[in-house]
Amino acid sequence: MTAYFIRRFLLIVPTFIGITLLVFAVTRVVPGGPIERMMTASLVSGDQAGKVQRDTQSGSTLSADQIAQLEAYYGFDKPVLESYALWLGKVITLDLGESSRYQDPVWQIIKERFPVSIFYGLTTLILTYLICIPLGVAKALGHNSLFDNASSALVFLGYALPSYVVGIALVGLFAAHWDIFPLGGFVSDHYDDLNTWGKLKDIFYHGALPLIAYMAGSFALTTFMMKNALMDNQAADYMRTAAAKGLMRKTAVWRHAFRNSLIPIATSFGSNIAFFMGGSFLIETIFNIDGIGLLGYEAILERDYPVVMGILVITSLLFLIGNIISDFLVAMVDPRIRFGEAR
Amino acid sequence: MLKLNPVTRKRLDRFKQLRRGYWSAIALACLFVLSLGAEMIASQRALLVIYEGEWHFPTYGAIIPGTQFGLDYQYETDYKTLKLTLESSGSGRVIMPPIPYGPLETDLAVGDFPPHAPSFAKQHYLGTDTSGRDVLSRIIYGFRIAMLFSLLLLVFNYLIGVSIGCLMGYWGGAFDLVFQRLIEIWSNIPFLYVIMIVASIIQPGFWTLVMIMVFFGWTSITWYMRTATYKEAAREYVMAARAIGASNTRIVFKHILPNSVSTLITFVPFSVAGGITSLTALDYLGFGLPPPTPSWGELLKQGTENLDSLWMVLSVVGAMTLILMLVTYIGEAIREAFDPRKFSYYE
Repeated sequence: MTAYFIRRFLLIVPTFIGITLLVFAVTRVVPGGPIERMMTASLVSGDQAGKVQRDTQSGSTLSADQIAQLEAYYGFDKPVLESYALWLGKVITLDLGESSRYQDPVWQIIKERFPVSIFYGLTTLILTYLICIPLGVAKALGHNSLFDNASSALVFLGYALPSYVVGIALVGLFAAHWDIFPLGGFVSDHYDDLNTWGKLKDIFYHGALPLIAYMAGSFALTTFMMKNALMDNQAADYMRTAAAKGLMRKTAVWRHAFRNSLIPIATSFGSNIAFFMGGSFLIETIFNIDGIGLLGYEAILERDYPVVMGILVITSLLFLIGNIISDFLVAMVDPRIRFGEAR
Repeated sequence: MLKLNPVTRKRLDRFKQLRRGYWSAIALACLFVLSLGAEMIASQRALLVIYEGEWHFPTYGAIIPGTQFGLDYQYETDYKTLKLTLESSGSGRVIMPPIPYGPLETDLAVGDFPPHAPSFAKQHYLGTDTSGRDVLSRIIYGFRIAMLFSLLLLVFNYLIGVSIGCLMGYWGGAFDLVFQRLIEIWSNIPFLYVIMIVASIIQPGFWTLVMIMVFFGWTSITWYMRTATYKEAAREYVMAARAIGASNTRIVFKHILPNSVSTLITFVPFSVAGGITSLTALDYLGFGLPPPTPSWGELLKQGTENLDSLWMVLSVVGAMTLILMLVTYIGEAIREAFDPRKFSYYE
């Protein structure tokens, strides 16, 4: 068991290198990289200024010297593998480079945005489990009842629609049309003047819609998972045994069926962590929340590759570790599962 | 004549009995077929023009210049004004499609700036977008593109996934190990983020976007096919086939594939839904199909930027809800048809 998890942790290294190398290579090999973009940009601005000094050979406004300088700055003058090795060497020492947009260290920028994303991630995670597990249990116990069918219809909607569509619908109706909630942002402008209670209220006032949107995705899955697992377990043989020896239904469900039904829930925990920690590009963009997702989106738009790569490093590490945590949890909850043995 | 084996026929019958899924499948198929003929539903070209006793069908084919109908310009006929002039003079007839606006046609009413609110009088049933293009028309064409996109995505993903997965399961050994590691890397890539990065660099068209998404998305089916092939290959009938002297190709194509592929259909609806949602998400973020392609995501973006004109957002959300609900109902029904679960209860 221990050996298995050690092996899993060691496997993070090649997987991580694989992911980053792939993206790194893509940003370099594909024609029309940042340098060419910059050249077109300067071409356009040069045209607008009306003083075009074209290099007759390359047809660009940048001199060969300037291009070489830029290429050296971005490491484009070296072969892909060599500049990747350089980049990786820096990453190991926790140096993610400098943002080409803000001129700040990438790690600094990401660190500033992290609390916001973590707040939303954790709150969603807690709320999801807090609501879904009891809801799933109630639905399983009253299978085919009015409550079950009515809640299924609503949960199903969240299951079919992607969370960003839910988010956009919420913004349109509750923020723009009925004006109940703010359009976006994390806190109000006068946040600093509020007392602690007011601050908390302000955060959740702004957070209500994004939190619902975040939850919409995982909510349905977790609820149905809980319901189906509990129903499977209620039909299991050991439950019949429990009934035969005269155990009350309530006790049998809580002591036996419920505990066993938590196993599939545990499997989803790890991936949920990674998903929420990394933030969602779409939801943060819709609600204009200044977290990791919005940062990543803006970095791509601005072609700020150090930040793009930095976020890739962080999110993929979180995802890989989240998967291992999820397996670990499964093994904890269900002692029958033995990873890495007798395969 | 297609001959179905008894198991498949039983599953099909069970699927037909699940009314909600069955009718959803029929409704979605109808919508898709209708959207293939979208030019006859929403277009600036008339369905039929009767001019001086001659019948013209301008919907498909080359543009008909205005001079054809006695107008004084060489560019494409403006059928909406032609309809007015012909009907007032009584010299002919024009029948327009139910939505007389094409997806790229801008309708700039004098003295008013787009977006225009929904209006039956102007036949903009769902209003127009910020450039004055009809929302309903763009939703219909956007649906067609999104469906074709996700179906193509599905075909390519499954082709690659099934072949590699099947080989992994059948050959095993080093090939299996290498691809296992490769797939592990691939499936840990943050899909949307990486596609955004790539799309921002190369600014894809329709086919390039399909290829990019296949490149990063083929793994999920592969994993499933590998396990399925492994299971099938270990069964007695494969051993029996081998004992008779069947070749590897014959075993794979005649025995293993038919038995393992059939369950793949349970994934199809969810793959289609995934294709539609990721295309719309990419379009929304501005990394999808190039403008002015009609797309739901681009309309959503305009809508969120102009929340006063709520009809844009609501139209797309309504359309997505309808389509994705249909797809999900179908998916649930197929899943149930393949795996009927009977619960017994603790009384």
